[in-house]
Amino acid sequence: MTVFPLKFRQTADGDVLFCDDAGGFFKSDDAFLSRYAHDQFTADDDAFLLRNGHAFEEVGDVAYSGFEYRFASRLYAPGPLDYIILVPTLRCNLACGYCQVSRVNENTPGFDWSNQTLEAVLSFLGTITAPKIKIEFQGGEPTLRLDILSTVRDFCRSRFERCEFVVCTNLQDVSDEVWSFLSLTDVYVSTSLDGDVSTHELQRTFKSARTAQFVENLDAAIARLGNGKVSALPTIDPRRPPEPKSVIEAYTSRGMNSIYLRPVNYQGFARKRYDARASSSAWNAYHSSFIDELVEFNFTAEVPAEEYYFVHCLRRILRAGHNGHVDLRNPNIVGHGYVVIDHDGKIYPTDEARMVSRVGQFDLSMGDVFTGMTMATVDALNEEASNNFHPDCVHCTYQAYCGIDLVDDLSRYGRIDLPKDQTDFCQRHLALFDKIFAMIYSDDPKIRKSLAIWAGVPSFDASIARCHQ
Amino acid sequence: MIDLRLKIDPLPIVEPLVIRLRNEPQNCQTEHDAVLVDTEGTRLEYDYNGFSFGLHRQDDENFDGDVILALPGQRIAHRLIRSKSPHNTFLVTEQCDQLCVMCSQPPKKHHADLFSQFALAASLAPLNATIGISGGEPLLHKERLFSMVETVASTRPDIRFHILSNGQHFVTEDIRRLVAMGTERILWGIPLYAADGLTHDRIVGKDGAFQNLQRGLGILIKAGASIELRTVVMQQNKDRLSDLANFLFTRLSCIDVWAIMQMERIGYGRMNWATSFHDSSADFTQLARAIDMSAARGISVALYNFPLCSVPLQYREFALSTISDWKQKYLDICEACGSRAACGGFFEWYSHKEGFAGLGAL
Repeated sequence: MTVFPLKFRQTADGDVLFCDDAGGFFKSDDAFLSRYAHDQFTADDDAFLLRNGHAFEEVGDVAYSGFEYRFASRLYAPGPLDYIILVPTLRCNLACGYCQVSRVNENTPGFDWSNQTLEAVLSFLGTITAPKIKIEFQGGEPTLRLDILSTVRDFCRSRFERCEFVVCTNLQDVSDEVWSFLSLTDVYVSTSLDGDVSTHELQRTFKSARTAQFVENLDAAIARLGNGKVSALPTIDPRRPPEPKSVIEAYTSRGMNSIYLRPVNYQGFARKRYDARASSSAWNAYHSSFIDELVEFNFTAEVPAEEYYFVHCLRRILRAGHNGHVDLRNPNIVGHGYVVIDHDGKIYPTDEARMVSRVGQFDLSMGDVFTGMTMATVDALNEEASNNFHPDCVHCTYQAYCGIDLVDDLSRYGRIDLPKDQTDFCQRHLALFDKIFAMIYSDDPKIRKSLAIWAGVPSFDASIARCHQ
Repeated sequence: MIDLRLKIDPLPIVEPLVIRLRNEPQNCQTEHDAVLVDTEGTRLEYDYNGFSFGLHRQDDENFDGDVILALPGQRIAHRLIRSKSPHNTFLVTEQCDQLCVMCSQPPKKHHADLFSQFALAASLAPLNATIGISGGEPLLHKERLFSMVETVASTRPDIRFHILSNGQHFVTEDIRRLVAMGTERILWGIPLYAADGLTHDRIVGKDGAFQNLQRGLGILIKAGASIELRTVVMQQNKDRLSDLANFLFTRLSCIDVWAIMQMERIGYGRMNWATSFHDSSADFTQLARAIDMSAARGISVALYNFPLCSVPLQYREFALSTISDWKQKYLDICEACGSRAACGGFFEWYSHKEGFAGLGAL
């Protein structure tokens, strides 16, 4: 019998958590660790490891190929290009203190697509071979250029079998024409509600009349379009976060039960104003308390709620192949499945890459819509975009569940070779995975109820949290 | 119950004959089509390449697009394909090398090779049809089976197969051929009853079957085959379902679906009903755990042949309507039920006296 390599980490309660490269895990103790280190497994140890997929008898037996499959399906392989983020204008009618996407004032000329850019974007879209497409309009405030949105939509509907359009709008000033566009069956709305209404005013609208106008539009959007077509993100300043309870109330009372907490992003103009670099511990503490509050909420709530990223990470622990989020993939191959087209027609592999380039740190563009895509920069980036052989990650218990975000590293530190445990990405994810495992091994009925909901099962079976003495 | 056999006037044939029945002459596209020329009471008269033959129907059945098989000297034709039904299965052999306690189709020694006729019938099936292949054990005639699939694939790439096999007869050399046949074309329905050899072997009545099955599954995995893993839940294995769930997660995460199935009270299943049937309406505990363990870890799991009202509410979404139309029935209690449309009901041979204790209209 051969045991697949095990990595281990002491847990807060003094046990030792063991994980393997395919994402299998169990808890044991120092005595087992010592037997592992000294090659002194008992027959009982052997039987446990073999039964639970941590060992095999012969290369090619089902224990071996089952492990191979679970390992391989955790790796992300990009599909064909079928998701395009478009930035038709950088102009915006709000000036949020943390604006992550870089914006200019509503009346500044020269930051919209020209007619030539629009034409070149359409011909670029025309080269896409996938049968379906998802277009996300970002900005700036994209509804300032409703004419462009309509032209792009018309083009896509004539070109692709299936289309989906997401408008990332602040819902601040919504004209009748914009309402008509947002009401179309293939159009979805993504907006911002920064926690609760008072935080929203503090961070985004500044004046109560503007706040009231937004809230009215948000509620109208949910009423008119249905909450299935409206999603909202709260951007949280970890130094001044809103009470978790009030965020949960603000969202669930509107029927928005998936809440995706975003820390203020240390990029674009945000970094001029906030010291987000050292904020990961504050963020981790807030995020953890938010999850605790959700657990309380779900215990009695008729309709449960979730924090989107926490649930994503939980499912990545439990399952292979859960690669649906661009922020957490391994290898994190960029510039293939989706790209971003900026206000000047330049193409970027991710939205963050666009911002890193805009503030002049690095040029992460990959050509433009006029001359076509160039892959040299993203190819170079993608060569490093795997955690499998990274000298820090190979020792990490959570390697199989985690990902890598080189653009984030570049943006924060100007380099990708910082020891991983000093990066914000690593610190945030270590804390997240610690929290999730503490919950998986908890026997608190409130926690188990939320875990079942978040894992999508009637009941969270205790045997998933395997232990071995 | 829909009769899968039709009374016909005797045909002067010496070889088995496959015919597709059509109502309109313009729909006759092949030499195997017969067109309806006259209806007299229950007798339908068809023209088949200039010959006439008669077929007797009950009720008002419409056979347009159906494919039948007539055998020499028989006044019965077998309805191989009913064009309006999703449940078309070819019983390709009645030979088997296992003797499963719940078998609904007990094996027979004799084998009549009708693979050529089945291949022809499949090629006459409606567009995008999925055809079930059952037995006996179809892979006892692997070469004939594979060439049938290959023949159909070459002329009718839209046709898919759902092949029920005990998985005992794959060898490494099959991998190349399985890949060439197309891993999306065939869904292999493979039974596994327990995570330990002793229990599995006892249920299938064959020593070493579990070991052999693991090898076979390993070959299917290597070929990237689509697999529906089938587990009939019985008194013999119900307490081992969570071990099996764990086995599937660690070894067989690649399966398309884990089908946990209720017994069919016919064949050996009827003979062994009292000692095998597990009344899951009375005790769903082990099934619930197996579902919880699997669904949380990303294994797609489904309940086959479970009447909806036999399943606790929060697990009902896993229960699919799976009983084939021709052997499906509903009980008197179903009259008042609002969920009948979503429910697969009962097998024709289900006996409520010996069946589920905890049923009731939803």
